Amino acid sequence: MKIYIEFRNKKTHLLFGLISLIFTFVSPISYAQDRAVIEGVVYDVESGDPLPGANVYWAGRPQGGVVSDEYGRFQLQKITLPAELVVSFIGYQEIRRQIQDNDKSIKIYLRPEEFALSEVVVSERRPDENVRSLEMGKSVVPISTIKNIPALFGEVDILRSLQMLPGIQTAGEGTTGLFVRGGSADQNLVQLDGAPIYNPSHFFGFFSVFNPDAIDNVSLYKGNIPAQYGGRLSSLVDVSLKEGNTNRIKGEGGIGTISSRFTIDGPINDKLTFVASGRRTYADIFLGLSNDPNIRNNSLYFYDLSGKITYRPSDKDKITISSYFGNDFLGLSEQFGFGWTNWVNSAVWNRTLGENLFLDVNAYHSSYNYAVSFEDEDSGFAWDNLFSESGLRGELVYTPKENLQFNTGLHTQYYHFAPLNFQPDEGSSLEGIGTTARNAIQYNLFISSQLEINPRLSAEVGLRKSIYQQIGRGIEYEYENDNPQTEEITGIISYDNFQTMQVYSGWEPRAALRYLVNESSSVKASYNRNYQYLQVASNSSAGLPIDRWVPADRYMSPISADQYSVGYFKNLRNNRWEFSVEAYYKDFQNIIDLKQGANVLFTDNVETEILAGRGWAYGAEFLIRKNVGSTTGWIGYTYSRTFRQIEGISMGQPFNPRFDRPHDLNLVLNQQFNPKWSASLTFVYTTGQAVTFPIGIYEVDNQRLPLYSELRNEDRFPDYHRMDVSFNYKAPDKGRKWRGSWNFSVYNVYGRKNPFSYQFAEILNETINFQPSLDNPVTTRRPGVVKTYLFTFLPSLTYNFEF
Amino acid sequence: MKKLIIYIVLLSSFLVYSCQEEVFIDLESQPDIPVIEAIWTDAPGLNQVSISYSKDYYNLEENQVESEADVFIQDEETGQVFPFRFVPQIGAYLPVNNQKAQVDREYSLNVLLNGRHYYSKGKVLPPPTLDSIAVNFREERLFRDEGYYLTLYGDIPFDRDNNYRIRIVRNDTLLNRRNDYLLFDDTFGTQILNRGFELTGYAFKENDRIRLELFRLNREAYDYLNELVGLLFNDGGLFSPPPQNPTTNIIELNEEGEVLGYFKSSSVLSSIITIGGSEE
Repeated sequence: MKIYIEFRNKKTHLLFGLISLIFTFVSPISYAQDRAVIEGVVYDVESGDPLPGANVYWAGRPQGGVVSDEYGRFQLQKITLPAELVVSFIGYQEIRRQIQDNDKSIKIYLRPEEFALSEVVVSERRPDENVRSLEMGKSVVPISTIKNIPALFGEVDILRSLQMLPGIQTAGEGTTGLFVRGGSADQNLVQLDGAPIYNPSHFFGFFSVFNPDAIDNVSLYKGNIPAQYGGRLSSLVDVSLKEGNTNRIKGEGGIGTISSRFTIDGPINDKLTFVASGRRTYADIFLGLSNDPNIRNNSLYFYDLSGKITYRPSDKDKITISSYFGNDFLGLSEQFGFGWTNWVNSAVWNRTLGENLFLDVNAYHSSYNYAVSFEDEDSGFAWDNLFSESGLRGELVYTPKENLQFNTGLHTQYYHFAPLNFQPDEGSSLEGIGTTARNAIQYNLFISSQLEINPRLSAEVGLRKSIYQQIGRGIEYEYENDNPQTEEITGIISYDNFQTMQVYSGWEPRAALRYLVNESSSVKASYNRNYQYLQVASNSSAGLPIDRWVPADRYMSPISADQYSVGYFKNLRNNRWEFSVEAYYKDFQNIIDLKQGANVLFTDNVETEILAGRGWAYGAEFLIRKNVGSTTGWIGYTYSRTFRQIEGISMGQPFNPRFDRPHDLNLVLNQQFNPKWSASLTFVYTTGQAVTFPIGIYEVDNQRLPLYSELRNEDRFPDYHRMDVSFNYKAPDKGRKWRGSWNFSVYNVYGRKNPFSYQFAEILNETINFQPSLDNPVTTRRPGVVKTYLFTFLPSLTYNFEF
Repeated sequence: MKKLIIYIVLLSSFLVYSCQEEVFIDLESQPDIPVIEAIWTDAPGLNQVSISYSKDYYNLEENQVESEADVFIQDEETGQVFPFRFVPQIGAYLPVNNQKAQVDREYSLNVLLNGRHYYSKGKVLPPPTLDSIAVNFREERLFRDEGYYLTLYGDIPFDRDNNYRIRIVRNDTLLNRRNDYLLFDDTFGTQILNRGFELTGYAFKENDRIRLELFRLNREAYDYLNELVGLLFNDGGLFSPPPQNPTTNIIELNEEGEVLGYFKSSSVLSSIITIGGSEE
């Protein structure tokens, strides 16, 4: 069901915004009461870092316990004091402390168990979190786990690691794009410290932009996305940069096959910490050593830099300022250059307003640009484009009692899509191109409540209202019969700065229920609606750096999705094993695709190139996971189907997008043999990609062309499977500051030739890619199929260090 | 510029290319579909209609050529009919009495075959002005070989329907690799001939004899060729769009059965140049 309310009246719009703002910041305060709680923070004694996920409870009453949050903070209802407080966490020694009546804010320092073989996984999750929480379709993968997963070229990659989880599909071999529960890659909100990243990949999608050493935490929401978040239909990938430790200056890094990285962090003073991180590839350095000038003058690199400053002016305040800058560049013979840049800045202020009232404020600016240049006296040009999002987000968290929590806030976003700029060099026969800018403001108001109805039944109800306003300065084209498909422009309307051009809005309800069957199992259900007001206009499966994002306008409605999911969660053997099965159905509206032969890059009339329709997806995801012990890992299996139905494509019949891969099996296995040696193994098996193969051949215009069916993606690549292994050797700790470790990994260990593509082309002179010339004329020709495959048995070696 | 985008896409693929090998895939097949390719211009030697059939992908036999069709082109304004006759030597239909189109007239293509009436329509639009062609020697540079290059001078006086194709015949051989297609519209303006349009895709040698043909196409035929080139560059990988047959501008009047191919009604300017010689 589509709910759009168009606010043509600007005053109505402003009034709504004002009411929203007042509601956001005033309403929860009215609930504030002075509760009798004790509060504190749990730290790791060695690092001084806050410790999320620790269990805190009164002795003899573990059922009334709480878990420390991501900042190590906890609040626990008081009982008759004095009483004994117990703080425990897997891999740490339990602490019991006598609490007196006058203790209000306490600090607890946990010490790692000395003889723990398995690596301690710091997580905000309590051991039975998956059973007890209301969360569905949420995955938290600890960085320590991600670092252990065997990696392509040894480059530990956060997004590629997420592909090992159920419900996440890949576009193809090696790429980092995520296709979550039937959604395309542009339906994922990838954010770093609350700021969106529009192109989260390096090197044409083969590496993600995140340096693992700089990352503190990664959470993936693919099911019940909380009302606090929105703007994308299919997932939220919430990444946070780590904060500098409060203890001493520390460093870590690695020297890998294709890149090296270095991170340093530590305290500046009692209240201020920092972390700075950098990574760079060095293929171009080796190119420079070549004797061949054609090779020597080429460039190929990416790098990223990030930093974060954390300031704690008081016990109640924490301010972080973080920045990320990533750049890719490909240069040929100093004449051709192609580069793209992400620059993301974020500031976050967390304040404890009262014993049970917290404020989070986040301001950010994220920009992305690409540039292509060609120096040539006759046909040189410079071509670039930029788009950005700026936002301000405020959220109040209010917990009037232990089993009740409210979240509410307002999020304002400003999108700016700069005009495409194409400037030919002087003397060129081409003329410049300048499209018009597209701008929009989006307001999002959200409120949600988590309520424990009784010890077995908990509920989360949320509502998000998004109001999207396309604004000037800009122009709007009018078409014959108001139909852009006619391509007959009948008029142009110009809009001034901030003048309203088009308004859309939508209610986005979120609801989740959890019924605790017993202490170790639960049943959950959730419903989610999301609106997305901008999307990528592309018909290829993998994203390109030059992809064009198009915001909703007069002719392009926002896309929306409704998702229904149910799940059963079970923990076994004292939470050592987790088992879950989740089933979902998802309905998409206004999904776009491109007309055949569409030109979306250089046109101001992108609406004439776009087709819209609907989609749906369903599936069941199974996960068995072992989190503790010397052997950890998971097995995930997903059966899923994804469909699109768009008039003008596949004869208007439903078709599968390329990433529809019904069977998807992932195995991740980590084995800690002893304190020095560990090994990891991953295995992936998926149904082949949905593709279109020819059904014949014919000749036209002196070319032999493959003949395709009118129906799209009726064929399949062969099933994909691959096994990767890695071995880690950590030098024994001899009390020295410098600690090194080696990682040896092999990607695709049994050398499976998984197809990257099949090209249906003529085989000339019985040679693939034969280039005829006057000296080498064509003597034979016949139709053939050329398979391209990547990365068979790819070993890599990385040296990691820390001090 | 579209080619540049294609190059960026290909580059994305080539950068990660590891290995290639020829494989056999068991493919579905579809009954023969007629393929009609009709060219109707104001240059009599180019006009012809060829009719063949599609076949199984791996079929190495000669294309099945249809010789029994009734083919004619009709002037939509005057009703004048231009009949075509099958010529076995070239395997195509040629206009009787070597007829040709007139500029600014709209024509329909009619092919009657096996009880079906295949039909298309197109206008022969006036050509731009081609004043002169310069030949310049260029050293080897990025994306171009050393050799002689042609630069076209002229004028495009139209503010719409600017869809052009340049076709090159070198020493009696049509340049028809996928890289040899030169299609351009007014995306980058209409001053391209006034400023001198260097054909950077073709390097010639001394004494090469070159015939250059400049077609002004209807949009549908231009789109057809653009989609054809897109298909030639489609590598079936992640960075390529799903492959589709180029959109034909020919229909079956009773909407029975499929048809492939296209009808190109066009004016054409042609010129012959000998490198080291003079323009004819």
